[in-house]
Amino acid sequence: MIKNNKWASLYLVVVFILLYTPIAYLIFYSFNEAGTMNQFSGFTLEHYAALAEDTRLMIIALDTIRVALLSALLATTIGTLGAIGIYYSRRRETQNLLLGFNNILLVSPDVIIGASFLLLFTVVGFRLGFYSVLLSHIAFSIPIVVLMVLPRLEEMNENMITAAKDLGATNWQVLKEIILPNITPGILAGYFMAFTYSIDDFAVTFFVTGNGFATLSVEIYSRARQGVSLEINALSTVLFLVAFSLVAGYYFIQKQQRTRKLAHMDPTNHEKAVTP
Amino acid sequence: MLTEEIIVSFDQVEKKYDKESVLKTITFELERGKFYTLLGPSGCGKSTILNLLAGFTSPTEGSIYLNGEDTKNTPPNKRKVNTVFQDYALFPHMNVFDNVAFGLKMKKLSKEDIKKKVSAVLKLVRLNGYDEREITGMSGGQKQRVAIARALVNEPDVLLLDEPLSALDLKLRTDMQYELRELQQRLGITFLFVTHDQEEALAMSDEIMVMNEGEIVQTGTPIDIYDEPINRYVADFIGESNIVKGRMIEDYVVSFAGKSFQCVDGGMNPDEKVDVVIRPEDLVLTEAEKGALQIRVETQLFRGVHYEIVGMDNDGNQWMVHSTKKTEPGRRVGLQFEPQDIHIMRINETEESFDERIENYSAPASFSVEEGDRLDG
Repeated sequence: MIKNNKWASLYLVVVFILLYTPIAYLIFYSFNEAGTMNQFSGFTLEHYAALAEDTRLMIIALDTIRVALLSALLATTIGTLGAIGIYYSRRRETQNLLLGFNNILLVSPDVIIGASFLLLFTVVGFRLGFYSVLLSHIAFSIPIVVLMVLPRLEEMNENMITAAKDLGATNWQVLKEIILPNITPGILAGYFMAFTYSIDDFAVTFFVTGNGFATLSVEIYSRARQGVSLEINALSTVLFLVAFSLVAGYYFIQKQQRTRKLAHMDPTNHEKAVTP
Repeated sequence: MLTEEIIVSFDQVEKKYDKESVLKTITFELERGKFYTLLGPSGCGKSTILNLLAGFTSPTEGSIYLNGEDTKNTPPNKRKVNTVFQDYALFPHMNVFDNVAFGLKMKKLSKEDIKKKVSAVLKLVRLNGYDEREITGMSGGQKQRVAIARALVNEPDVLLLDEPLSALDLKLRTDMQYELRELQQRLGITFLFVTHDQEEALAMSDEIMVMNEGEIVQTGTPIDIYDEPINRYVADFIGESNIVKGRMIEDYVVSFAGKSFQCVDGGMNPDEKVDVVIRPEDLVLTEAEKGALQIRVETQLFRGVHYEIVGMDNDGNQWMVHSTKKTEPGRRVGLQFEPQDIHIMRINETEESFDERIENYSAPASFSVEEGDRLDG
């Protein structure tokens, strides 16, 4: 057993080293005094200073976050309603069909989604820019939200809905008071996922950004093509730290919720307390 | 106080799912303030009756009247009927107070009224002081009480209970039986209780409706049903019983196991084939010569309260005896019983003709306390 454990942890360590080495390498050279990644000559923060002065990059960063926040919000709303719709479709076949259509969007390559959006926008005559990016981000985030919310709905005790109706709740009240509070964790997870997918996305965005609008991933790509500047390393480091703190924050919120729930479970809470 | 008010009535109600009939043309009435039990094995349609009354499904044929009004177009949230679910179906994201207050909040009552009513009902189910408790941390028995409180706080005309005790352990279940019965008598609300547990039904009900395959087979007080089962099915379902084939020689005389016996039933055709029921606890073990019947003991099982003894008579009929005295397998023993211990069932008799016949032929001794007196209060 012990031997087994050793191999397992060794495997884990190797995997994590493989995963994190490139990022660590990139972060390490963001502090390099020499302008290249060939040799480390000394510690400096000048790339970060340059980053702070780069207003174009700042605007793009803000735009990226704006798109991410908005698209995640709208995708979560639509996706949640969609999940409820799928859940309530009575027949099993319809349910599977709808879910199938949902999953196809998830597995189809971003390039195809991006290209098809580009086609659509040009055919309709929609101007490429902020709104085209926003719309496409909403579109590819919806399936993710559906996939995060649907299991929550299926876990829910259906008798609860019957009970609520039995107690006089209208359909709207059932949705507001029973269904939504019960699937909130799923909705939040969906929002977070949609947010990160939107920040992450390169391929789809690359197709549908017009002139004068870009997101960070597209910008980094075009700069990297022009030649390596360590400013990109600095930017990537900042992004990594933001992502890291988001994950850490999410973890701590969850942990806090769990301890609060445990605190509610009173150890003196026995049958004795009720029966006289 | 003598008015027997009809609160629920099912008129020729039939329910089909995909052409398969789960409820076959059922007609019955419930009076205000009584404890009714629907008893039957799973899949006999008893839960369907609850769902129909609560409005979760609608009947294929026939009508259901609640307080004299046809419920055809009344959605569940508008019916003065509340349900206690088998799995309680409490709202895990709310605490005890909010769970119980849910129905009142939906009715938009004022904050003070809600608070007053909720604490009153929590006191009623002996959960006062539990307002702020989360549902997840509660035991099965406590959840059960919350579920009952949540339904009762709405002051329903009829409370429907769908096997609410089946998830509790034996001790707690027995306690809750007493408590539910007491609660019902105190509040005077009509309870319609669904169970497959015959002991539960006998212990709690004013009236039991025994169901089988979508039909109500027999309706009556627990004593009536136990003492005068209409047929083999009811006799078998309600308690242990010895059922043997017999022949009615004339009124008050029946023959089975090769002998003739005095009995208290009549109204059959001479020489009619019948089923004879004797409950195991009505059989008394004696020495072989003194018994009305002789059996050879085959098995003996210690059950705690009594021994369960199974033996065979000379005619090949099996007899089960519940006795506090023990015997030994292989011994020949006698069985004694009184004429009123013999219950005769005609084969394929309808409930109406059964009731009529019982009315005319049963010996006065077998009549117990009159029904109806109990309503006052």
